[in-house]
Amino acid sequence: MSGLAVKRLMKELAEIQAKGTPEGIILLSADNMQEWVFLISVLGDETIYKGETFALRMKFGNRYPIDVPEVTFVANEQYQPPIHPHVYSNGHICASILGTEWSPVLNAVAICITMQSMLASNKKRIRPEGNDRYVKTAPSNPKLTRWHYDDDTV
Amino acid sequence: MDMSNHPLLASMDEPPPFPANYTQLRRLDRSVVCQICKEPFQAPVSIACGHSFCSSCIRSSLDVLKKCPSCNEPASEGSIRRNRALEEITDAWEESRPIIHELAQPPIVRKRPAPESSSKPSSSSNTKRLKPSSREASGSRSQSPTKSRTSNEDHVQLRQEELLDDEEEEDDIQELTENDEAPCPICQATLPISSIPMHIEKGCPPPKAKMNGAKKGNQKADWRKVFSGQGTTGKAKDVEMKRIIKPNYSIASPADLRAILSEYSLPTTGDKAALTSRVQEWIILFNSNLDTSHPSSISALRAKLSDLEASKRRDKEKGKDEMIAQLGQKGGLQKYAKDKRSEFDRLRQEIIERDKRRKDEEEGKGGRENAIEVE
Repeated sequence: MSGLAVKRLMKELAEIQAKGTPEGIILLSADNMQEWVFLISVLGDETIYKGETFALRMKFGNRYPIDVPEVTFVANEQYQPPIHPHVYSNGHICASILGTEWSPVLNAVAICITMQSMLASNKKRIRPEGNDRYVKTAPSNPKLTRWHYDDDTV
Repeated sequence: MDMSNHPLLASMDEPPPFPANYTQLRRLDRSVVCQICKEPFQAPVSIACGHSFCSSCIRSSLDVLKKCPSCNEPASEGSIRRNRALEEITDAWEESRPIIHELAQPPIVRKRPAPESSSKPSSSSNTKRLKPSSREASGSRSQSPTKSRTSNEDHVQLRQEELLDDEEEEDDIQELTENDEAPCPICQATLPISSIPMHIEKGCPPPKAKMNGAKKGNQKADWRKVFSGQGTTGKAKDVEMKRIIKPNYSIASPADLRAILSEYSLPTTGDKAALTSRVQEWIILFNSNLDTSHPSSISALRAKLSDLEASKRRDKEKGKDEMIAQLGQKGGLQKYAKDKRSEFDRLRQEIIERDKRRKDEEEGKGGRENAIEVE
């Protein structure tokens, strides 16, 4: 990784160390500067995800923060992606902040907060339309998918 | 996860933060930081909406998206203006930060401490921003704080010794002014005191002739050289310090890109994608280097570029390892075969054609040989 990306991630890590993460967000692992995993849970009683915890994986590239990191929900034996109209069952997320709306002034924690609020505002426990078709043909890197952002209600 | 002793943060080179009760100072500290790299501004520039960033940060960002990263206003490279005042502010703050940081500490008992009592977290060893002030670099002191990074304890002890020393050696210190020369505390090269912080910031390049104080005789000779055109013949190639205009990458031919690269004596190897990314990186490095009053040398920029490419190559290698690991998994091989089917077919086709050509050539050759035999 380039020095710039490593330095920037170190700063973010140091800030998490000094100030902690917002409520409901926990840094699960950051063993290297390529891949971090956060745990996300939605707070309050209003949410349909009460008591559930999701793991969000971020892969940082050589050109972070200019380029958006690759962000997916973990889908394995231990963690399942949330059932949400913008989250596919393979963990891919359709969110403009992870595509055209990414800005290099954002950081890893900001992504977590966005994901948390995306879950918090959701009321319907459904998968996106065409989930099965997408999951069958999806590239392993969601950044290679051409996303179409149409629904901004959740 | 336990964040108290994270292995990745062991090599962190951060100046210690201000104590929490000095919110104004913390705010000041944040305000000279670029929102993209989160480092103090380097070659700061402003764009049309009024937001400022490091020149290289915003140039990289605008290459990807023509918007202000902070406010989403449309932005273009043409609107980039050098922000001299911000650079001056950043430099001045960087220089005064260690002093103010020291003043903001709770008062230290002026007594040589017992080693075990000295591990205060507030004065952890430090780095980039703690430039030796002229006082510390006054030459009379061979031990400088930068050398004592090994442990916090040493550092604290040293700082307190310094406080004591200051009282004892006050007369000594006042004899030196900013224009005097002193050895750099890191590389020992002799430099004017005022230029040492910048010199360390740049990673201790060997001092240039022009930095060595005011040698008026030489200056005159240098100017004569410039006017008679001798100055430019000294080097094999002299680079014009003028902003590079971006080529249109989609229509530029590899030869065009190579021409740009060779103008700056850069490697011209690789396919068009490699050439394009090299030209792009170089233009960012070169153009942002023109937005500062402490520019790096062209050779330093070349070194930066080659570092960048090396790190990209390393990442690629790593990606390969990951792929190999994936192939070992169940179903990985089939998936790989499916993904690479078209590439495989293409290579197969090429080999068939190559063999055919070779065979044809061989036959032709054979024919000639026969002819020779006949002769």
